[in-house]
Amino acid sequence: MPDTAASTGAQLILDVLADEGVETVFGYPGGAIMPLYDALYGHSIRHILTRHEQAASFAAGGFARSTGKVGVCFATSGPGATNLVTGLLDAQMDSVPVVAITGQVRTPLMGTDAFQEADVTSITGSVTKRSVCVRDVAQLERTLRAAFRLARGPRPGSVLVDVPQDVLKAPCARFNPLAPRRRTQPTLKADDDALDATIDLIRGARRPVAIVGGGARSAGATHLFREFCALLELPHTATINGLGCAEPGDLRFLGMLGMHGWKAANLAVNEADVLFAFGMRFDDRVTGRPDRFARGATVVHADVDASEFGKVISPHIALRGDLRYTLAQLAQRLARMKSRPSFAAWGREAKALGGPPPPDRTPHGELSATSVLDRFFAHAPEDAIVSTDVGQHQMWAAQRQRASHPRNFLTSAGLGAMGFGLPAAIGAQFAFPARSVTAIVGDGGFQMSIAELATIARYELPVKILLIDNRRLGMVRQWQELFYERRYSAVDLSDNPDFVAIARGYGIGGASVTEAASLDAAIVRMLASDGPALLHCACYPEENVWPLIPAGTSVNEMMEARPLDDAVPA
Amino acid sequence: MTLALVLHDWRILERIVGLTHRLGCSYRSVEVRARDDNRYDARIEFAGSHDALRRLDAQLNRLLDDDKEMCQ
Ligand SMILES: Cc1ncc(C[n+]2csc(CCOP(=O)(O)OP(=O)(O)O)c2C)c(N)n1
Repeated sequence: MPDTAASTGAQLILDVLADEGVETVFGYPGGAIMPLYDALYGHSIRHILTRHEQAASFAAGGFARSTGKVGVCFATSGPGATNLVTGLLDAQMDSVPVVAITGQVRTPLMGTDAFQEADVTSITGSVTKRSVCVRDVAQLERTLRAAFRLARGPRPGSVLVDVPQDVLKAPCARFNPLAPRRRTQPTLKADDDALDATIDLIRGARRPVAIVGGGARSAGATHLFREFCALLELPHTATINGLGCAEPGDLRFLGMLGMHGWKAANLAVNEADVLFAFGMRFDDRVTGRPDRFARGATVVHADVDASEFGKVISPHIALRGDLRYTLAQLAQRLARMKSRPSFAAWGREAKALGGPPPPDRTPHGELSATSVLDRFFAHAPEDAIVSTDVGQHQMWAAQRQRASHPRNFLTSAGLGAMGFGLPAAIGAQFAFPARSVTAIVGDGGFQMSIAELATIARYELPVKILLIDNRRLGMVRQWQELFYERRYSAVDLSDNPDFVAIARGYGIGGASVTEAASLDAAIVRMLASDGPALLHCACYPEENVWPLIPAGTSVNEMMEARPLDDAVPA
Repeated sequence: MTLALVLHDWRILERIVGLTHRLGCSYRSVEVRARDDNRYDARIEFAGSHDALRRLDAQLNRLLDDDKEMCQ
C-alpha cells in the first residue's frame, strides 16, 4: 500500500527538483528554510554553500548560462531572500533560466513584521518572470513544476518560489514519479507569409547585415544561424549575449556590436539596407540613439517574445517564433531558390570598414590590460569557459574573446552587475568539472565577491582568476575622464590589498605580474595549474576602452583611441 | 486605452501597477471582479502617450501569458 502521508513539503521540494533534473543547488541556510536544509541532509541533491546569497544566485546563473539547464538557488527568509535580488534580475534580463526557493516565516506570522520577515514576492516580483508564495502544501508540487516550465521558456528567465516554514514542515503525500506530467509547450512557429516576405527582401537586398543576440543561445539555434550566414555569405555581428554564435574564424563576422563594439560592425549596421535581428532586443548599449540607428535599413526582427517587436525599433517584418524553426525555414526557402544571392563582395567591403578594436596607448614600462587579455585568449583552450565581471575588463574581454559557442562566454550583459564574474565561474565549473574555466575580473568587482574564494577552496574547484588590477574603478574613471572633465570622484582603489596574499590565505595559489616580458609565461602557468589559481596583473590605471560610442549618441559620434597626451578634448 | 484582462492570480495586479508606472502611464479606472472559476476579470482604463500605451499593451500580454502558465 502506498505510504500517502510519509513526506513533508521540504522533502517534496527536493524530490520534485531531482525529478526536474536538478543535481546541484547553490545556497545559504537560515531559520525559516531550515526544514529544507534538514531534508537535504543525506539527499542525492548536492548543495553548494556559497559565502553570500548573491553569489548563490550568480552561481546558479553561471551554471544555467553554461549549460542551458535551470540553475537553482536557496536562501532563507528576510535578508537571505533580499540578497538574491541582483542575481535574479541578472538572470531575468539576460533570459537565463534560474529558479530560487526561499524560506518564509510561518504563515500565522506573515504580515506581523516577524523576525526576518520580508515581503519577498513583492520585492522580487518585478525582477523575475514570476514570484509566488505557496501557502498550502497541496499547491507545492504544481507550483514548482510551473516555476520550472516558466523559467525554461519559451523565453527563459528567473522565477522565485517562497515557502513558509510551516508549509516546508507540513505533511504531504509522498512524491509520485509516475504521476502524469503536463506536456511541454508546442514549438512556436513563425508565420509563413512573414517568412516568404523575408525571402523576397533578401532577393532585393544589396547591403544586408545580420545581428545575433542571446535569443539564439537560448533557442539552441547557433548552428542554424551559422548556416543562414554561410548560405548567403552574409556579414554578421553579435550583441554581447550573442558572442560565440558566429562560426569561429568566419571572416564575415564583423565583431561585437554596440557602444564598445567593433568599428566595422557598427558602421556596417549603419550602412545596411536590410537588417536581420535574430534573438536580440535592441538594447540601448547596442542602438545608441534609436532614431539614428540603421536608418536606411528594412528591419526583420525574429524573436520568440512578441513584446520585443517595436519596444525600441519597429520592424518591417516580425518573425515571432522559436528561432530554430525560423532559421530552419529560412534556410529551406533559400536552398530552394534558383539563384540564391551572395553577399560576399559586400561582406568584404563591410569587413574593411574597420579593424579590430585598437589598444589604448600605455606609457613605456606599464602593463597594458588589453595586452594581458590578448595573451590570455591566445593561450586559453578552444573550449574554455570564460566569465567576466563588469567594467573595462569586461568590454576588453568581449572585444577579444574567441568563444566557439555562446555558452562559453558568461557575462552580466543586461544588468551589468559587478560581483558576477567569480560566482558565475563557480557555477560553470560545477557544471563542467573537467573544462578550463576562468573568471576575468576587475579589482573592484572581484572584491564584491572575494569571499567566494572560500567556496572555490572548499570544493577544490580548478577555477582560474585573471585579475585586471588597475587600482581604479576603471570604467567609471574612464567616463569621468571623458565626460566629467577628469573630476575623479570615488574611483580610486590605489590602497587595494595584496590579492595574492589574500588568495593564499584561502589556500589558493597566486602570482603577480607587473611587466609584459613575464606575461606569457605567467598565463601559461596559471592555465596549466591543476587546482585554482589567481593571476594578479598590475595594469596601467588610465588605459581606456576604444572605440566608444557615447551613450545616447549614434555611430557618427564614435570615439577612437587617441595618443596619450591627447586623451581628453580641450 | 481600455483593456479587458483575465487574471489567473489576482496578485498579478501588483505587477501591472509597476509596469504601468515604469512606462510612464497611469490609470483612469480599475475594476476587478472574481469569477466562479478562480479567475478574475479586470477592466482597466490606462492613460499615457500612444507609444507608451503600445509598449504597455505588449508587455502586459507577456505578463499575463506568464501568469496563465504559472497557474496551470
Ligand atoms: C553592483 C554594481 N555597482 C556599481 C556598478 C557601476 N560600475 C560599472 S563598471 C564599474 C567599475 C568597475 O571597476 P573594476 O571592477 O575595477 O573593473 P574595471 O572597470 O577597472 O575593469 C562600476 C563601479 C555596477 N556595474 N555594478
